[in-house]
Amino acid sequence: MKSRDNTGWIFVLPAALVLGLVGLIPLMTVVNYSFFEIFILDARFWVGLEWYADIITSGRFWASFGRSTLFSMLILTVQIPLGIAIALCIPQRKTWVGISLAVVALPLLVPWNMIPSLWLALMNPDSGILGRMLGGLGWPVDWKLSIPHTWAVVIAMDVWHWTSLVVILCYSALTTIPQSHYQAAAIDGAGPWQVFRHIQLPQLYHVLLMAVLLRFMDSFMIYTEAFPINAGGPDGATMFLAVDLGEEIKAFNYGPSAARSVIYFLIVLMVAYSFSKAQSKLSDRQPA
Amino acid sequence: MRNSAPMWRVVKAVALAAFVVFVSLPLVQMTMISFVATLAHPDTPLGAVTLRNYSAILTDPNLRSAFANSIAYVVINICITVPVAIPAAYAFSRLSFVGDKHLFLAFIAFRITPPVVLTLPIFQLFSSLGIVNSVFGIALAHCLFNLPISIWIMQGFISAVPKEMDETAFLDGYSRRGFIWKILLPQIAPGIAVTGFFCFMFSWVEVVFARILTTTNGKPISMALNALFGFQTDIGLVMAVTVASMLPGAALLFAMRGHLSRGFKVGQV
Repeated sequence: MKSRDNTGWIFVLPAALVLGLVGLIPLMTVVNYSFFEIFILDARFWVGLEWYADIITSGRFWASFGRSTLFSMLILTVQIPLGIAIALCIPQRKTWVGISLAVVALPLLVPWNMIPSLWLALMNPDSGILGRMLGGLGWPVDWKLSIPHTWAVVIAMDVWHWTSLVVILCYSALTTIPQSHYQAAAIDGAGPWQVFRHIQLPQLYHVLLMAVLLRFMDSFMIYTEAFPINAGGPDGATMFLAVDLGEEIKAFNYGPSAARSVIYFLIVLMVAYSFSKAQSKLSDRQPA
Repeated sequence: MRNSAPMWRVVKAVALAAFVVFVSLPLVQMTMISFVATLAHPDTPLGAVTLRNYSAILTDPNLRSAFANSIAYVVINICITVPVAIPAAYAFSRLSFVGDKHLFLAFIAFRITPPVVLTLPIFQLFSSLGIVNSVFGIALAHCLFNLPISIWIMQGFISAVPKEMDETAFLDGYSRRGFIWKILLPQIAPGIAVTGFFCFMFSWVEVVFARILTTTNGKPISMALNALFGFQTDIGLVMAVTVASMLPGAALLFAMRGHLSRGFKVGQV
Protein backbone atom coordinates (compact mmCIF):
# COMPACT_ATOMS: atom_id res chain seq x y z
CA MET A 1 0.00 0.00 0.00
CA LYS A 2 1.09 3.54 -0.55
CA SER A 3 1.85 5.60 2.50
CA ARG A 4 -0.31 8.62 3.23
CA ASP A 5 2.13 11.48 2.96
CA ASN A 6 1.45 15.01 1.79
CA THR A 7 5.14 15.69 1.20
CA GLY A 8 4.29 14.10 -2.13
CA TRP A 9 3.29 17.59 -3.20
CA ILE A 10 6.87 18.79 -2.89
CA PHE A 11 7.93 16.07 -5.30
CA VAL A 12 5.30 16.87 -7.89
CA LEU A 13 5.63 20.63 -7.53
CA PRO A 14 8.30 21.16 -10.24
CA ALA A 15 6.23 19.18 -12.73
CA ALA A 16 3.09 21.05 -11.76
CA LEU A 17 4.86 24.39 -12.20
CA VAL A 18 6.16 23.52 -15.67
CA LEU A 19 2.77 22.27 -16.81
CA GLY A 20 1.14 25.30 -15.20
CA LEU A 21 3.32 27.53 -17.34
CA VAL A 22 2.98 25.75 -20.69
CA GLY A 23 -0.48 24.28 -20.12
CA LEU A 24 -2.68 25.98 -17.57
CA ILE A 25 -1.81 29.64 -18.22
CA PRO A 26 -2.25 29.34 -22.01
CA LEU A 27 -5.48 27.45 -21.44
CA MET A 28 -6.85 30.20 -19.20
CA THR A 29 -5.89 32.77 -21.83
CA VAL A 30 -7.89 30.86 -24.40
CA VAL A 31 -10.87 30.65 -22.06
CA ASN A 32 -10.69 34.40 -21.57
CA TYR A 33 -10.49 35.16 -25.31
CA SER A 34 -13.40 32.89 -26.09
CA PHE A 35 -15.87 35.40 -24.61
CA PHE A 36 -14.65 38.36 -26.66
CA GLU A 37 -14.84 39.76 -30.15
CA ILE A 38 -11.22 40.62 -30.87
CA PHE A 39 -10.08 42.78 -33.79
CA ILE A 40 -6.59 43.38 -32.53
CA LEU A 41 -5.51 42.17 -29.14
CA ASP A 42 -5.99 45.63 -27.56
CA ALA A 43 -9.45 46.27 -28.99
CA ARG A 44 -12.06 43.78 -27.93
CA PHE A 45 -15.54 43.63 -26.55
CA TRP A 46 -17.52 41.12 -24.58
CA VAL A 47 -19.79 38.82 -26.56
CA GLY A 48 -20.53 36.26 -23.84
CA LEU A 49 -21.38 32.84 -25.15
CA GLU A 50 -22.00 33.94 -28.71
CA TRP A 51 -19.04 32.09 -30.25
CA TYR A 52 -19.99 28.92 -28.41
CA ALA A 53 -23.56 29.17 -29.65
CA ASP A 54 -22.30 29.72 -33.20
CA ILE A 55 -20.09 26.64 -33.08
CA ILE A 56 -22.56 24.32 -31.38
CA THR A 57 -25.32 25.21 -33.84
CA SER A 58 -23.15 25.07 -36.95
CA GLY A 59 -23.57 22.07 -39.21
CA ARG A 60 -19.91 22.28 -40.10
CA PHE A 61 -18.77 21.63 -36.52
CA TRP A 62 -20.92 18.53 -36.17
CA ALA A 63 -19.88 17.28 -39.60
CA SER A 64 -16.22 17.58 -38.61
CA PHE A 65 -16.99 16.02 -35.25
CA GLY A 66 -18.62 13.07 -36.99
CA ARG A 67 -15.73 12.67 -39.42
CA SER A 68 -13.13 12.81 -36.64
CA THR A 69 -15.08 10.28 -34.57
CA LEU A 70 -15.39 7.90 -37.50
CA PHE A 71 -11.71 8.34 -38.31
CA SER A 72 -10.62 7.62 -34.72
CA MET A 73 -12.85 4.55 -34.52
CA LEU A 74 -11.40 3.16 -37.75
CA ILE A 75 -7.87 3.93 -36.57
CA LEU A 76 -8.41 2.17 -33.23
CA THR A 77 -10.07 -0.82 -34.90
CA VAL A 78 -7.03 -1.32 -37.11
CA GLN A 79 -4.12 -0.19 -34.96
CA ILE A 80 -4.89 -1.80 -31.62
CA PRO A 81 -5.48 -5.40 -32.82
CA LEU A 82 -2.69 -5.08 -35.39
CA GLY A 83 -0.31 -3.70 -32.76
CA ILE A 84 -1.09 -6.57 -30.37
CA ALA A 85 -0.73 -9.13 -33.16
CA ILE A 86 2.65 -7.82 -34.29
CA ALA A 87 3.90 -7.60 -30.71
CA LEU A 88 2.98 -11.27 -30.30
CA CYS A 89 4.81 -12.11 -33.53
CA ILE A 90 8.11 -10.52 -32.53
CA PRO A 91 10.40 -13.43 -31.78
CA GLN A 92 11.70 -13.92 -28.27
CA ARG A 93 15.24 -14.84 -29.32
CA LYS A 94 17.46 -12.03 -28.11
CA THR A 95 19.26 -10.93 -31.26
CA TRP A 96 16.15 -10.58 -33.37
CA VAL A 97 14.08 -8.70 -30.82
CA GLY A 98 16.13 -5.53 -30.87
CA ILE A 99 16.43 -5.42 -34.64
CA SER A 100 12.72 -6.10 -35.20
CA LEU A 101 11.73 -3.42 -32.72
CA ALA A 102 14.17 -0.91 -34.18
CA VAL A 103 12.90 -1.42 -37.75
CA VAL A 104 9.27 -1.35 -36.70
CA ALA A 105 9.82 1.92 -34.81
CA LEU A 106 11.37 3.80 -37.74
CA PRO A 107 8.14 5.57 -38.86
CA LEU A 108 8.00 7.28 -35.46
CA LEU A 109 11.18 9.17 -36.37
CA VAL A 110 9.89 10.84 -39.54
CA PRO A 111 9.12 14.57 -39.13
CA TRP A 112 5.33 14.82 -39.12
CA ASN A 113 5.13 17.32 -41.94
CA MET A 114 7.01 14.89 -44.19
CA ILE A 115 4.67 11.97 -43.65
CA PRO A 116 2.13 13.13 -46.25
CA SER A 117 4.98 13.80 -48.70
CA LEU A 118 6.31 10.26 -48.24
CA TRP A 119 2.88 8.79 -48.88
CA LEU A 120 2.17 11.01 -51.86
CA ALA A 121 5.52 9.93 -53.33
CA LEU A 122 4.67 6.29 -52.60
CA MET A 123 1.19 6.54 -54.16
CA ASN A 124 2.31 8.48 -57.23
CA PRO A 125 0.85 6.53 -60.19
CA ASP A 126 3.92 7.14 -62.37
CA SER A 127 6.85 6.89 -60.00
CA GLY A 128 5.63 5.56 -56.65
CA ILE A 129 6.25 1.94 -55.70
CA LEU A 130 2.74 1.42 -54.39
CA GLY A 131 1.05 3.65 -56.96
CA ARG A 132 2.57 1.69 -59.84
CA MET A 133 1.88 -1.64 -58.18
CA LEU A 134 -1.79 -0.85 -57.63
CA GLY A 135 -2.07 0.67 -61.10
CA GLY A 136 -0.57 -2.50 -62.56
CA LEU A 137 -3.15 -4.57 -60.70
CA GLY A 138 -5.88 -2.43 -62.23
CA TRP A 139 -6.75 -0.57 -59.02
CA PRO A 140 -5.53 2.96 -59.62
CA VAL A 141 -5.75 5.04 -56.46
CA ASP A 142 -7.47 8.36 -56.96
CA TRP A 143 -6.93 10.28 -53.73
CA LYS A 144 -7.72 13.58 -55.39
CA LEU A 145 -11.35 13.02 -56.32
CA SER A 146 -12.56 9.84 -54.67
CA ILE A 147 -13.63 10.14 -51.04
CA PRO A 148 -13.11 6.44 -50.12
CA HIS A 149 -9.67 6.49 -51.71
CA THR A 150 -8.62 9.64 -49.83
CA TRP A 151 -9.79 8.09 -46.57
CA ALA A 152 -7.97 4.87 -47.38
CA VAL A 153 -4.73 6.78 -47.97
CA VAL A 154 -5.07 8.82 -44.76
CA ILE A 155 -5.87 5.70 -42.73
CA ALA A 156 -3.05 3.68 -44.28
CA MET A 157 -0.72 6.58 -43.55
CA ASP A 158 -1.77 6.80 -39.91
CA VAL A 159 -1.59 3.03 -39.46
CA TRP A 160 1.89 3.13 -40.93
CA HIS A 161 2.90 6.03 -38.70
CA TRP A 162 1.55 4.96 -35.33
CA THR A 163 0.97 1.18 -35.13
CA SER A 164 4.62 0.90 -34.08
CA LEU A 165 3.89 2.75 -30.87
CA VAL A 166 1.22 0.18 -29.97
CA VAL A 167 3.67 -2.60 -30.87
CA ILE A 168 6.45 -1.20 -28.66
CA LEU A 169 4.14 -0.68 -25.69
CA CYS A 170 2.52 -4.11 -26.01
CA TYR A 171 5.82 -5.86 -26.53
CA SER A 172 7.25 -4.21 -23.43
CA ALA A 173 4.32 -5.38 -21.32
CA LEU A 174 4.52 -8.92 -22.75
CA THR A 175 8.14 -9.29 -21.69
CA THR A 176 7.17 -8.69 -18.05
CA ILE A 177 5.17 -11.95 -17.98
CA PRO A 178 7.10 -14.48 -15.86
CA GLN A 179 8.18 -17.61 -17.71
CA SER A 180 6.48 -19.73 -15.04
CA HIS A 181 3.06 -18.56 -16.23
CA TYR A 182 3.69 -20.10 -19.63
CA GLN A 183 5.03 -23.29 -18.11
CA ALA A 184 1.94 -23.60 -15.95
CA ALA A 185 -0.24 -23.04 -19.00
CA ALA A 186 1.66 -25.70 -20.94
CA ILE A 187 1.15 -28.20 -18.12
CA ASP A 188 -2.56 -27.43 -18.17
CA GLY A 189 -2.53 -28.07 -21.93
CA ALA A 190 -3.62 -24.56 -22.87
CA GLY A 191 -3.68 -23.72 -26.58
CA PRO A 192 -2.35 -20.48 -28.10
CA TRP A 193 -5.74 -18.78 -27.83
CA GLN A 194 -6.15 -19.67 -24.15
CA VAL A 195 -2.62 -18.51 -23.41
CA PHE A 196 -3.40 -15.24 -25.11
CA ARG A 197 -6.79 -14.81 -23.46
CA HIS A 198 -5.82 -15.71 -19.89
CA ILE A 199 -2.12 -14.92 -19.60
CA GLN A 200 -1.01 -12.40 -22.21
CA LEU A 201 -4.06 -10.20 -22.60
CA PRO A 202 -4.55 -9.48 -18.86
CA GLN A 203 -0.93 -8.34 -18.73
CA LEU A 204 -1.63 -5.95 -21.57
CA TYR A 205 -4.68 -4.21 -20.10
CA HIS A 206 -2.88 -1.23 -18.56
CA VAL A 207 -0.63 -0.63 -21.50
CA LEU A 208 -3.53 -1.00 -23.91
CA LEU A 209 -5.53 1.56 -22.00
CA MET A 210 -2.66 3.99 -22.48
CA ALA A 211 -2.32 3.04 -26.15
CA VAL A 212 -6.04 3.50 -26.74
CA LEU A 213 -6.00 6.88 -25.00
CA LEU A 214 -3.02 8.18 -26.99
CA ARG A 215 -4.17 6.81 -30.29
CA PHE A 216 -7.77 7.90 -29.83
CA MET A 217 -6.94 11.46 -28.90
CA ASP A 218 -4.10 11.95 -31.35
CA SER A 219 -6.13 10.61 -34.27
CA PHE A 220 -9.25 12.48 -33.17
CA MET A 221 -7.22 15.68 -33.35
CA ILE A 222 -5.13 14.77 -36.40
CA TYR A 223 -3.75 17.95 -37.93
CA THR A 224 -0.31 18.05 -39.50
CA GLU A 225 -0.60 14.80 -41.41
CA ALA A 226 -4.13 14.83 -42.78
CA PHE A 227 -4.37 18.20 -44.47
CA PRO A 228 -1.57 18.05 -47.09
CA ILE A 229 -2.92 14.86 -48.65
CA ASN A 230 -5.83 16.62 -50.26
CA ALA A 231 -6.29 20.00 -48.50
CA GLY A 232 -9.29 18.65 -46.61
CA GLY A 233 -10.98 17.44 -49.76
CA PRO A 234 -12.44 16.04 -51.83
CA ASP A 235 -15.42 18.20 -51.04
CA GLY A 236 -14.40 18.64 -47.37
CA ALA A 237 -14.40 14.89 -46.75
CA THR A 238 -11.15 15.04 -44.78
CA MET A 239 -11.83 18.24 -42.83
CA PHE A 240 -11.22 17.00 -39.30
CA LEU A 241 -11.77 18.93 -36.07
CA ALA A 242 -8.22 20.18 -35.64
CA VAL A 243 -8.02 21.18 -39.31
CA ASP A 244 -11.07 23.41 -38.82
CA LEU A 245 -9.40 25.03 -35.83
CA GLY A 246 -6.17 25.52 -37.75
CA GLU A 247 -8.07 27.30 -40.54
CA GLU A 248 -9.75 29.57 -38.00
CA ILE A 249 -6.41 30.49 -36.41
CA LYS A 250 -4.84 31.16 -39.80
CA ALA A 251 -7.71 33.56 -40.52
CA PHE A 252 -6.93 35.42 -37.24
CA ASN A 253 -10.42 34.85 -35.82
CA TYR A 254 -9.19 35.01 -32.24
CA GLY A 255 -12.56 34.82 -30.49
CA PRO A 256 -14.12 31.96 -32.46
CA SER A 257 -10.88 29.98 -32.53
CA ALA A 258 -10.55 30.39 -28.75
CA ALA A 259 -14.10 29.17 -28.21
CA ARG A 260 -13.41 26.21 -30.47
CA SER A 261 -10.22 25.49 -28.51
CA VAL A 262 -12.16 25.48 -25.25
CA ILE A 263 -14.74 23.10 -26.67
CA TYR A 264 -11.94 20.78 -27.81
CA PHE A 265 -10.35 20.97 -24.38
CA LEU A 266 -13.66 19.99 -22.78
CA ILE A 267 -13.66 16.91 -25.03
CA VAL A 268 -10.08 16.23 -23.87
CA LEU A 269 -11.17 16.48 -20.23
CA MET A 270 -14.06 14.07 -20.74
CA VAL A 271 -11.75 11.57 -22.43
CA ALA A 272 -9.11 11.91 -19.70
CA TYR A 273 -11.80 11.46 -17.05
CA SER A 274 -13.17 8.26 -18.57
CA PHE A 275 -9.60 7.06 -18.94
CA SER A 276 -8.87 7.54 -15.25
CA LYS A 277 -12.16 5.85 -14.34
CA ALA A 278 -11.26 2.88 -16.51
CA GLN A 279 -7.81 2.81 -14.96
CA SER A 280 -9.02 2.69 -11.38
CA LYS A 281 -11.50 -0.03 -12.33
CA LEU A 282 -8.62 -2.07 -13.72
CA SER A 283 -6.50 -1.49 -10.63
CA ASP A 284 -9.36 -2.63 -8.40
CA ARG A 285 -9.75 -5.82 -10.36
CA GLN A 286 -6.11 -6.85 -10.41
CA PRO A 287 -3.98 -5.38 -7.64
CA ALA A 288 -0.70 -4.73 -9.44
CA MET B 1 9.49 -18.32 -24.28
CA ARG B 2 6.69 -20.71 -25.16
CA ASN B 3 7.39 -23.79 -27.28
CA SER B 4 4.86 -23.27 -30.04
CA ALA B 5 4.13 -25.62 -32.89
CA PRO B 6 6.42 -25.08 -35.91
CA MET B 7 3.50 -24.08 -38.15
CA TRP B 8 2.43 -21.40 -35.70
CA ARG B 9 5.98 -20.08 -35.67
CA VAL B 10 5.98 -19.82 -39.48
CA VAL B 11 2.69 -17.90 -39.44
CA LYS B 12 4.18 -15.45 -36.95
CA ALA B 13 7.35 -14.98 -38.96
CA VAL B 14 5.35 -14.35 -42.15
CA ALA B 15 3.08 -11.83 -40.41
CA LEU B 16 6.04 -9.97 -38.95
CA ALA B 17 7.81 -9.96 -42.31
CA ALA B 18 4.69 -8.58 -44.01
CA PHE B 19 4.47 -5.81 -41.43
CA VAL B 20 8.16 -4.97 -41.82
CA VAL B 21 7.67 -4.73 -45.60
CA PHE B 22 4.68 -2.43 -45.05
CA VAL B 23 6.71 -0.24 -42.68
CA SER B 24 9.67 -0.17 -45.06
CA LEU B 25 7.82 0.72 -48.28
CA PRO B 26 7.56 4.51 -47.78
CA LEU B 27 11.07 4.55 -46.32
CA VAL B 28 12.48 2.71 -49.34
CA GLN B 29 10.67 5.12 -51.64
CA MET B 30 12.08 8.05 -49.69
CA THR B 31 15.63 6.69 -49.82
CA MET B 32 15.37 5.98 -53.54
CA ILE B 33 14.25 9.51 -54.36
CA SER B 34 16.93 10.98 -52.11
CA PHE B 35 19.64 9.61 -54.44
CA VAL B 36 18.08 11.04 -57.61
CA ALA B 37 18.59 14.51 -59.08
CA THR B 38 15.03 15.79 -59.24
CA LEU B 39 15.96 19.21 -60.60
CA ALA B 40 18.28 19.63 -63.55
CA HIS B 41 21.70 20.99 -62.61
CA PRO B 42 24.51 22.01 -64.95
CA ASP B 43 26.60 18.97 -64.06
CA THR B 44 23.88 16.43 -63.23
CA PRO B 45 21.01 15.75 -65.65
CA LEU B 46 17.46 15.28 -64.38
CA GLY B 47 16.87 11.78 -63.05
CA ALA B 48 20.54 10.86 -62.67
CA VAL B 49 21.59 8.88 -59.63
CA THR B 50 23.67 11.22 -57.50
CA LEU B 51 24.94 12.06 -54.06
CA ARG B 52 24.49 15.77 -54.64
CA ASN B 53 21.35 15.96 -52.44
CA TYR B 54 23.37 14.76 -49.48
CA SER B 55 26.32 16.98 -50.20
CA ALA B 56 23.88 19.91 -50.43
CA ILE B 57 22.91 19.30 -46.81
CA LEU B 58 26.50 19.78 -45.72
CA THR B 59 27.00 22.95 -47.71
CA ASP B 60 23.70 24.71 -47.01
CA PRO B 61 24.11 26.86 -43.87
CA ASN B 62 20.34 26.90 -43.26
CA LEU B 63 20.15 23.13 -43.20
CA ARG B 64 23.23 22.81 -41.06
CA SER B 65 21.88 25.22 -38.46
CA ALA B 66 18.51 23.44 -38.60
CA PHE B 67 20.17 20.19 -37.53
CA ALA B 68 22.01 22.03 -34.75
CA ASN B 69 18.76 23.65 -33.59
CA SER B 70 16.86 20.37 -33.54
CA ILE B 71 19.54 18.65 -31.51
CA ALA B 72 19.76 21.64 -29.15
CA TYR B 73 16.07 21.89 -28.35
CA VAL B 74 15.63 18.13 -27.91
CA VAL B 75 18.58 17.99 -25.52
CA ILE B 76 17.24 20.98 -23.55
CA ASN B 77 13.80 19.38 -23.46
CA ILE B 78 15.19 16.13 -22.06
CA CYS B 79 17.26 18.10 -19.51
CA ILE B 80 14.10 19.82 -18.27
CA THR B 81 11.75 16.86 -18.52
CA VAL B 82 13.71 14.04 -16.91
CA PRO B 83 14.83 15.76 -13.67
CA VAL B 84 11.33 17.16 -13.16
CA ALA B 85 9.63 13.87 -13.99
CA ILE B 86 11.67 11.66 -11.64
CA PRO B 87 10.48 13.12 -8.30
CA ALA B 88 6.91 13.40 -9.62
CA ALA B 89 6.96 9.78 -10.76
CA TYR B 90 8.34 8.78 -7.36
CA ALA B 91 5.53 10.61 -5.59
CA PHE B 92 2.80 9.14 -7.79
CA SER B 93 4.29 5.68 -7.39
CA ARG B 94 5.02 5.60 -3.67
CA LEU B 95 3.07 8.28 -1.84
CA SER B 96 -0.59 9.01 -1.43
CA PHE B 97 -1.25 12.73 -1.06
CA VAL B 98 -4.24 15.01 -1.18
CA GLY B 99 -5.42 15.40 -4.75
CA ASP B 100 -2.96 12.94 -6.29
CA LYS B 101 -5.54 11.34 -8.58
CA HIS B 102 -6.86 14.70 -9.75
CA LEU B 103 -3.39 15.98 -10.43
CA PHE B 104 -2.58 12.88 -12.45
CA LEU B 105 -5.79 13.39 -14.40
CA ALA B 106 -4.79 16.99 -15.13
CA PHE B 107 -1.38 15.84 -16.33
CA ILE B 108 -2.97 13.30 -18.65
CA ALA B 109 -5.37 15.94 -19.94
CA PHE B 110 -2.44 18.16 -20.91
CA ARG B 111 -0.71 15.29 -22.70
CA ILE B 112 -3.72 14.68 -24.91
CA THR B 113 -4.52 18.35 -25.48
CA PRO B 114 -3.87 18.97 -29.18
CA PRO B 115 -1.04 21.53 -29.52
CA VAL B 116 -3.07 23.53 -32.03
CA VAL B 117 -5.47 24.43 -29.18
CA LEU B 118 -2.70 26.23 -27.29
CA THR B 119 -0.60 27.64 -30.14
CA LEU B 120 -1.83 31.23 -29.97
CA PRO B 121 -1.58 31.82 -26.19
CA ILE B 122 1.73 29.97 -25.98
CA PHE B 123 3.09 32.21 -28.71
CA GLN B 124 1.91 35.31 -26.82
CA LEU B 125 3.18 34.08 -23.48
CA PHE B 126 6.55 33.13 -24.89
CA SER B 127 6.89 36.44 -26.75
CA SER B 128 6.35 38.32 -23.52
CA LEU B 129 8.94 36.10 -21.86
CA GLY B 130 11.28 36.74 -24.78
CA ILE B 131 11.81 33.09 -25.69
CA VAL B 132 10.32 32.90 -29.16
CA ASN B 133 12.66 32.22 -32.07
CA SER B 134 14.92 30.32 -29.73
CA VAL B 135 15.49 26.64 -29.16
CA PHE B 136 14.64 27.16 -25.50
CA GLY B 137 11.07 28.14 -26.35
CA ILE B 138 10.42 24.98 -28.35
CA ALA B 139 12.06 22.87 -25.66
CA LEU B 140 9.79 24.35 -23.01
CA ALA B 141 6.62 24.09 -25.11
CA HIS B 142 7.30 20.41 -25.78
CA CYS B 143 7.18 19.74 -22.04
CA LEU B 144 3.42 19.96 -22.45
CA PHE B 145 3.30 16.45 -23.90
CA ASN B 146 6.69 15.02 -22.90
CA LEU B 147 6.45 15.65 -19.17
CA PRO B 148 3.21 13.69 -18.58
CA ILE B 149 4.44 10.81 -20.74
CA SER B 150 7.76 10.76 -18.91
CA ILE B 151 6.08 10.67 -15.50
CA TRP B 152 3.93 7.86 -16.76
CA ILE B 153 6.80 5.73 -18.07
CA MET B 154 9.10 6.43 -15.15
CA GLN B 155 6.38 5.62 -12.66
CA GLY B 156 6.12 2.14 -14.14
CA PHE B 157 9.84 1.61 -13.61
CA ILE B 158 9.74 2.94 -10.05
CA SER B 159 6.75 0.79 -9.18
CA ALA B 160 8.71 -2.24 -10.39
CA VAL B 161 11.33 -1.60 -7.68
CA PRO B 162 10.21 -3.58 -4.63
CA LYS B 163 8.86 -1.45 -1.80
CA GLU B 164 11.05 -3.39 0.67
CA MET B 165 14.05 -1.62 -0.80
CA ASP B 166 12.71 1.73 0.41
CA GLU B 167 12.07 0.37 3.87
CA THR B 168 15.50 -1.24 4.22
CA ALA B 169 17.14 1.98 3.09
CA PHE B 170 15.22 4.05 5.61
CA LEU B 171 16.15 1.58 8.36
CA ASP B 172 19.77 1.92 7.25
CA GLY B 173 19.49 5.63 7.94
CA TYR B 174 19.06 6.98 4.43
CA SER B 175 17.02 10.14 4.11
CA ARG B 176 14.42 10.12 1.36
CA ARG B 177 16.64 12.27 -0.80
CA GLY B 178 19.60 10.02 -0.15
CA PHE B 179 17.52 7.00 -1.03
CA ILE B 180 16.40 8.51 -4.34
CA TRP B 181 19.92 9.56 -5.31
CA LYS B 182 21.93 6.58 -4.15
CA ILE B 183 19.57 3.64 -4.45
CA LEU B 184 16.55 4.40 -6.61
CA LEU B 185 18.26 6.20 -9.49
CA PRO B 186 20.74 3.39 -10.26
CA GLN B 187 17.83 0.94 -10.13
CA ILE B 188 15.77 2.85 -12.67
CA ALA B 189 18.62 3.84 -14.98
CA PRO B 190 17.14 1.83 -17.89
CA GLY B 191 13.86 3.64 -17.25
CA ILE B 192 15.59 6.99 -17.53
CA ALA B 193 17.09 5.89 -20.84
CA VAL B 194 13.70 4.72 -22.16
CA THR B 195 12.08 7.97 -21.00
CA GLY B 196 14.77 10.04 -22.66
CA PHE B 197 14.24 8.11 -25.85
CA PHE B 198 10.49 8.72 -25.83
CA CYS B 199 11.07 12.43 -25.20
CA PHE B 200 13.43 12.53 -28.15
CA MET B 201 10.97 10.67 -30.34
CA PHE B 202 7.96 12.87 -29.64
CA SER B 203 9.90 16.12 -29.65
CA TRP B 204 12.17 15.64 -32.68
CA VAL B 205 9.30 15.21 -35.13
CA GLU B 206 6.79 17.72 -33.73
CA VAL B 207 5.70 20.47 -36.07
CA VAL B 208 2.91 22.66 -34.67
CA PHE B 209 4.80 24.34 -31.81
CA ALA B 210 8.03 24.28 -33.78
CA ARG B 211 6.33 26.28 -36.53
CA ILE B 212 4.69 29.03 -34.49
CA LEU B 213 7.63 29.51 -32.16
CA THR B 214 10.26 29.97 -34.89
CA THR B 215 9.28 32.65 -37.37
CA THR B 216 12.74 34.12 -37.88
CA ASN B 217 15.30 32.15 -35.91
CA GLY B 218 15.91 28.81 -34.29
CA LYS B 219 14.19 26.83 -37.05
CA PRO B 220 14.43 23.07 -36.56
CA ILE B 221 14.73 20.46 -39.31
CA SER B 222 10.98 20.15 -39.86
CA MET B 223 10.73 23.87 -40.62
CA ALA B 224 13.83 23.82 -42.81
CA LEU B 225 12.06 21.06 -44.73
CA ASN B 226 8.95 23.21 -45.07
CA ALA B 227 11.07 26.03 -46.43
CA LEU B 228 12.34 23.74 -49.19
CA PHE B 229 8.85 23.47 -50.67
CA GLY B 230 8.19 26.18 -53.19
CA PHE B 231 7.52 26.95 -56.81
CA GLN B 232 10.16 24.44 -57.90
CA THR B 233 10.57 21.90 -55.14
CA ASP B 234 13.72 19.82 -55.23
CA ILE B 235 11.98 16.73 -53.90
CA GLY B 236 15.24 14.75 -54.01
CA LEU B 237 16.81 17.21 -51.58
CA VAL B 238 13.66 17.12 -49.40
CA MET B 239 13.89 13.34 -49.17
CA ALA B 240 17.64 13.44 -48.48
CA VAL B 241 17.08 15.88 -45.60
CA THR B 242 14.32 13.61 -44.27
CA VAL B 243 16.61 10.58 -44.42
CA ALA B 244 19.36 12.54 -42.66
CA SER B 245 16.89 13.75 -40.03
CA MET B 246 16.08 10.16 -39.17
CA LEU B 247 19.69 9.10 -38.67
CA PRO B 248 20.20 10.37 -35.09
CA GLY B 249 16.94 8.72 -34.04
CA ALA B 250 17.83 5.49 -35.81
CA ALA B 251 21.24 5.45 -34.07
CA LEU B 252 19.56 6.07 -30.74
CA LEU B 253 16.99 3.37 -31.47
CA PHE B 254 19.77 0.94 -32.27
CA ALA B 255 21.59 1.80 -29.06
CA MET B 256 18.36 1.55 -27.09
CA ARG B 257 17.11 -1.70 -28.60
CA GLY B 258 18.22 -3.76 -25.61
CA HIS B 259 16.39 -1.51 -23.16
CA LEU B 260 13.26 -1.40 -25.27
CA SER B 261 13.14 -5.16 -25.63
CA ARG B 262 13.69 -5.79 -21.94
CA GLY B 263 10.25 -4.46 -21.33
CA PHE B 264 8.51 -2.10 -18.97
CA LYS B 265 5.11 -1.65 -17.45
CA VAL B 266 3.31 1.62 -17.61
CA GLY B 267 2.53 3.26 -14.34
CA GLN B 268 -0.87 3.54 -12.76
CA VAL B 269 -2.18 5.67 -9.95
